Amino acid sequence: MSGNQHSTALSVEGLTKDYPGVRAVDNVSFSVGSGTVHCVVGENGAGKSTLIKMLTGALQPTSGTMTVKGVPHRPNNPNEAREGGIATLFQELHVVDELTVQENLTLGMERSRFGFLVKSELDDKVIRTLAAIEPSIDPTARVSSLSVAQKQIIEIARAASSGASIIIMDEPTAALSEREVERLFGVIRRLRESDVTVIYISHKLDEIFSLGDAVTVLRDGKHVATKPLSEVQGRSELIEMMIGRSVFQNYKPRTEISDDTLLVASGLTNNLLKDVSFSINRGEIVGFYGLVGAGKTEIARALFGADKVSGSIQFKGQEVGHSPKKAIAAGIALVPEERRTQGLFTGLSIRENIPIMNLERLSNRGVYRSNVERDAAIEYINKLSIATESIDKKTEKLSGGNQQKVVLAKCLFSDAELLLLDEPTRGVDVGAKTEIYDIIKNLADQGNSVAVFSSELEEVLGICDRIFLLYTGTLEDEIINGANVDAGHILNVVTGGHEGAVQ
Amino acid sequence: MTITDSTPPLSKGRTLSEGGRRMSDETFIMLLVGGVAVGLFLIASVMVPNFFQLLNMLNLVTNNWAVISLGVGVTFLLVSGNFDLSVGGIVALSGVLAVWFAQSPDGANSLSTGLGLPYWLAVLGAFFGALAIGAMNALFVVRFSIPSIIVTLGTMMVARGIAQVITQGSQRNTNLPDAFGVLGNMTVFGTWVKLPVFLMVVLLVVAIFIERKAVFGRLTFWIGSNPIAANLSGIDKGKHVTYLYLFSSAIAGVVGILLASEFKSGYSNRGTLMEFDALVIALLGGVAIAGGFGSVVGMFFGAIILAVVTSAATGLVLSPDWQYILKAIAVFLAIMTQTWALARRNR
Repeated sequence: MSGNQHSTALSVEGLTKDYPGVRAVDNVSFSVGSGTVHCVVGENGAGKSTLIKMLTGALQPTSGTMTVKGVPHRPNNPNEAREGGIATLFQELHVVDELTVQENLTLGMERSRFGFLVKSELDDKVIRTLAAIEPSIDPTARVSSLSVAQKQIIEIARAASSGASIIIMDEPTAALSEREVERLFGVIRRLRESDVTVIYISHKLDEIFSLGDAVTVLRDGKHVATKPLSEVQGRSELIEMMIGRSVFQNYKPRTEISDDTLLVASGLTNNLLKDVSFSINRGEIVGFYGLVGAGKTEIARALFGADKVSGSIQFKGQEVGHSPKKAIAAGIALVPEERRTQGLFTGLSIRENIPIMNLERLSNRGVYRSNVERDAAIEYINKLSIATESIDKKTEKLSGGNQQKVVLAKCLFSDAELLLLDEPTRGVDVGAKTEIYDIIKNLADQGNSVAVFSSELEEVLGICDRIFLLYTGTLEDEIINGANVDAGHILNVVTGGHEGAVQ
Repeated sequence: MTITDSTPPLSKGRTLSEGGRRMSDETFIMLLVGGVAVGLFLIASVMVPNFFQLLNMLNLVTNNWAVISLGVGVTFLLVSGNFDLSVGGIVALSGVLAVWFAQSPDGANSLSTGLGLPYWLAVLGAFFGALAIGAMNALFVVRFSIPSIIVTLGTMMVARGIAQVITQGSQRNTNLPDAFGVLGNMTVFGTWVKLPVFLMVVLLVVAIFIERKAVFGRLTFWIGSNPIAANLSGIDKGKHVTYLYLFSSAIAGVVGILLASEFKSGYSNRGTLMEFDALVIALLGGVAIAGGFGSVVGMFFGAIILAVVTSAATGLVLSPDWQYILKAIAVFLAIMTQTWALARRNR
């Protein structure tokens, strides 16, 4: 253990970030001890990523100060943050597969003479750093032969050998298996022993308890608490601090739900999903809630036939075929997670986007009925109040909310009886959000079924009649929405606290 | 066609459909390319004596029937986000096959000895030979997901290579039945219009109809615009691209058969660089190399631009050796103009 355990590595004073109409981070102050693992927790939208972006120079604070080891820290870009001693481990990895481990570690810092690479003391230094944090990786190995976890460790070693005193890790375990997580934790502990400070962001509370020295809780952009984890009374106290209030919800029980089962999925299994079974009734809005990587998108894509999955999916008593085309023919439509890359034809107009999922209605023996197309465009622009001056406007020029409505219109035009909505309001402004919720409710009231896959608790609690809770590919629990729904229980389940730990 | 830049108030049905209708980017580029083609023709008419004649105008089109026909298939494939560089090779292959199949089996040497099939069967066989190359393109592009530029570069050489082996690097032009020379030289409806030109016109009309009015055309745009979204919208992309490659190779096969008939010979170097000319006229005509944008009419005007530039220059002062330089200048100018005009319009 190092001697200056109690000195301060980073302190933040009155940090605030305003966006038009929103205060994402509101007067946050805390400090991080040197050579500790400091965890930051909070719900989606609590301000974690905005805070991190300010520390790493991707965003500039509206007001407030940051200090690293006593020196004022006000980076204008990630490079300046790095020079100031803060390195970040991003979720997407920045390693070059074709090079060796050592070449990756010295990338961008190579010494050369007359255009030829020469060995430098830097090479020895990176090899020593790597050996200290993970001796099992061979520096001469090609990075393409390494696992995701090992690549992550290469990035950590690069950050550590570049002289960073603080390494920020944002959800580093999202893509790792259990054994790999243990290995990463070993690396993080060894980093701590060599007096590197780690700021660790994760939704998985178990990880926080097994790894962290201290925790900072954020809620709605405000700082709730910073205290040593030894003083935190288990998961329940942490969850309480994260929620703080009963989650805002205006759900009203709906009467239009029938007992008629529309879809039955049983034993869905693939490389992430583990034996997931559920059913959806006519007229029902069900929610699938879980963290990133819990399997929401996988379930949606499996139901839609977009990914291979074992198990059975029965829709109206019939097995659904394994392709989007067959799913659409059966009456299932998907609003995908990434609307720009998966949902929209951004180079085409609103008019040309809407009819694609129902070619039968659109054509007469292969000949296009342009009046049907035009009428559909006008109908949905009015029905969903898509803000545009023309049906011929290219969808790339619409705002996020209006783009999402065009994707919804595509699905509505297909006359689907079951709509799968993957993150339907991600990147959508508040006004459009409410409108999309109203559209969803109307659809269900007309006897259609809707499945909402979301990582926002307020969203599922606001509109869903029944909520399935997911954790790392397993359907852990099922909850009937209502006035006395226990948000603490939900957060406990989706952060991995279901088995054993009765809190 | 009215162009309004003012923004009418939104909603209220009517304004959405009629009032605020803005010309699409496709129409804009098409008019731009058409305007350039006409403008260049007028400039050439002023500068080159005897250029401004009806016959000359018609010749610009009729002399280029082969490339324009190939351009149709290439345009559709480009719009879907795929290249087809094999069409020139297919032209050579199908022509050589048609000749080889039709040559009588009792020739004096190997180059004048064929299979002696009846003419119609020889043509049919050659046509299927062309389709086989198209099927190969589709197989590698769709089934094995290999980039189309690589696949069709390969099949281009496969097709021409087979043609070269059959002709032993030379050409086959003896021992052919008289009927062989009919198709490529016959005129239709008692006019001077040759059958290949007539077929090109029919092909253009059908292609424009498919592009504008048929679901098949729209599918091509959807796939080229965003293949992932098309798949998630229930479109069978593989099937559609397969059709496109088969159509493109079928067109190239017919072109090859007609050219072989016109010259009454099968020549392994016939159609050399035609795949690039077809690509060039499509790009000149505003077809986006990344897919999702373009039109057959634009491609047609692109062909006219290229034809005017090369024929005017050779009629003017320069020797035909300059034609590649001139083509290059035309291509760079045209594509820079389009990029600039589109960016300005969509600013």
